[in-house]
Amino acid sequence: MRRGNRIWSWIVMIIGILYFFLPLLATFIFSLKAKLGVLSFQAYANVFHDPAFVYNFSYSVLWAISTIVVGILLFVPTAYLIRLRVPKLRSAVEFITLLPFVIPAIVFVFGLVRTFSHPPLLIVNSPALLIAGYTVLSMPYMYRSIDTGLRSIDVRTLTEAAQSLGAGWGSILFDIILPNIRVAILSGAFLSFAIVIGEYILAQYLAKPAFAPYMAYQIQQKAYEPAAMAIISFALTWAAMGIIALVGRGNGQAQVGGGH
Amino acid sequence: MTHLTLSNICKQFAGTTAVEDFNLEVEKGEFVSFLGPSGCGKTTTLRMIAGFEVPTTGKVTIDDTDITYQAPNQRNVGMVFQAYALFPNMTVAQNIGYGLRIRKESKTAIKERVTEMLALIHLEKKGNSYPHQLSGGQQQRVALARALAIRPQVLLLDEPLSALDAKIRVSLRAEIRAIQKKLGITAIYVTHDQEEALSISDRIVVMYEGRIEQVGTPFEIYNFPQTAFVASFVGTLNTAPAEVVDPAKHLLKIDGVQLESAEMLEDKHAGDKVTIAIRPERFNFIAQERKANILDCQIENITFLGSVVRIQLLIGSNRFYMDTFNNPFLELPKIGDKAQITCSREAVLVLKA
Ligand SMILES: Nc1ncnc2c1ncn2[C@@H]1O[C@H](COP(=O)(O)OP(=O)(O)O)[C@@H](O)[C@H]1O
Ligand SMILES: [Mg+2]
Repeated sequence: MRRGNRIWSWIVMIIGILYFFLPLLATFIFSLKAKLGVLSFQAYANVFHDPAFVYNFSYSVLWAISTIVVGILLFVPTAYLIRLRVPKLRSAVEFITLLPFVIPAIVFVFGLVRTFSHPPLLIVNSPALLIAGYTVLSMPYMYRSIDTGLRSIDVRTLTEAAQSLGAGWGSILFDIILPNIRVAILSGAFLSFAIVIGEYILAQYLAKPAFAPYMAYQIQQKAYEPAAMAIISFALTWAAMGIIALVGRGNGQAQVGGGH
Repeated sequence: MTHLTLSNICKQFAGTTAVEDFNLEVEKGEFVSFLGPSGCGKTTTLRMIAGFEVPTTGKVTIDDTDITYQAPNQRNVGMVFQAYALFPNMTVAQNIGYGLRIRKESKTAIKERVTEMLALIHLEKKGNSYPHQLSGGQQQRVALARALAIRPQVLLLDEPLSALDAKIRVSLRAEIRAIQKKLGITAIYVTHDQEEALSISDRIVVMYEGRIEQVGTPFEIYNFPQTAFVASFVGTLNTAPAEVVDPAKHLLKIDGVQLESAEMLEDKHAGDKVTIAIRPERFNFIAQERKANILDCQIENITFLGSVVRIQLLIGSNRFYMDTFNNPFLELPKIGDKAQITCSREAVLVLKA
């Protein structure tokens, strides 16, 4: 009985891994076939030599970093104050942060366009609207990471200890709260990074340079290069995850202990 | 000179009254404990001194300055929490120096003060450790040093030893008291542990259901509890319903047994119902002829508690405890024996209703 279960769980796991990795492997192998008859990194060289790739990818990185900065500035104080002052609102806020999962991006982007394309809110062409939109899309990851980080420290007592030592809100946030949820913020940031780099709909409909629309366009033009791009973006995402894991391990000890 | 004053403090939370009509004057350098069961309003009162809560009515002053509505970070009050609340991202030295850094003191001044504080708590070698590398007792000493580093006007401690085990609790409370005396700092100490309060304080404020029951020195609180609550909460105390027989002669009656007290009963009349209280250690077996307070009793149980022997006995229908010092030559009655015990007039306390 037990052994049967064991075998089944192995089978399910292997199927899962194959399901996930086979297409990736196929894409990778395909991306190496740009030169007839031999495996080569020619497609990758082509990608990196294309100024349009560099242009679009750089913009995506810029959007991602802006989104992360805005997200941190917006969500750290919000999550902190909700934990400190209105813990009753936590479940409501949690629900709100999940809305981007429920509302299709296409609906969201048309909402943005309709709302912000008439005076006095004529900002549909501003990069700010794109970044604001990305901040919303990354909210489930960013906000929840931060909130989880805050749960691991005794926010209220640490705040009061700092206050009794004379600290104001700025000092409390920068000296006490931020350093203690650094790992959580980092993991939220990398997830946001991955989301923004791979995001297509917002960039496309708000007509901004970005990696995903560029790649979609390339798919119609070329064969091997888009495959190489897919692998590159995967590699970047995985590298980001790896960094989270490393940083998380390095600071794991500093996270526990202290007030509880 | 009065240093810290709480006048007519009331604090209501939606629907419940946490603290009611709290009045207290604390002298400079005094060590005052708030003692009472959980939920009686000790922490709330302390938090109003720290500025984390604002009284519904009433006034808090330090050195005649009204600080009732001052923000916590504008006050100069040190606070030690039950959960230590050290900043996990900072070393011990950084924790201790944090308040001075906020006050923009020079690096050398901070370093000097931190060194001084580390010596005070005997953790000279731990300056570069992180809180999670220290034991609970060490962490709480660092928290104490951090609160003291800013030279606060008042030091507040909210059950600082509750999270520690018994041995460390006893040694650390002596250390806290020694440091407080050395610095001459005014301290308010919250605890629900009567032994802690008795051993550490200049004065104790006994609280019950948001009200002050009694304020006094440990000696007064233990020997002359004024209310039934204080009597039952502090130490072991025998209490029994009694009836006034003759107020002029201080005569009372419990369950038909006559007792003489030393208390003034002039506001009482014959037949009034009162509650009397007697500490177990005030009873003796009768060794010589006595005229008053001869109590016939029956031995119900005998328990050895180390240095004392606790004897449970019945006087009439009232159960009492009697403590006597343990020694190898003690001649104890046996369970079920009838015996006569006595106590002095001064031992018979009459509690306020
Ligand atoms: N923030 C609060 N909101 C509502 N009720 C509170 C709050 N803080 C304390 N209380 C209530 O006030 C009373 C006194 O609490 P507290 O001062 O913490 O007692 P103690 O420290 O003596 O155990 C309790 O009944 C508690 O439930
Ligand atoms: Mg309390």
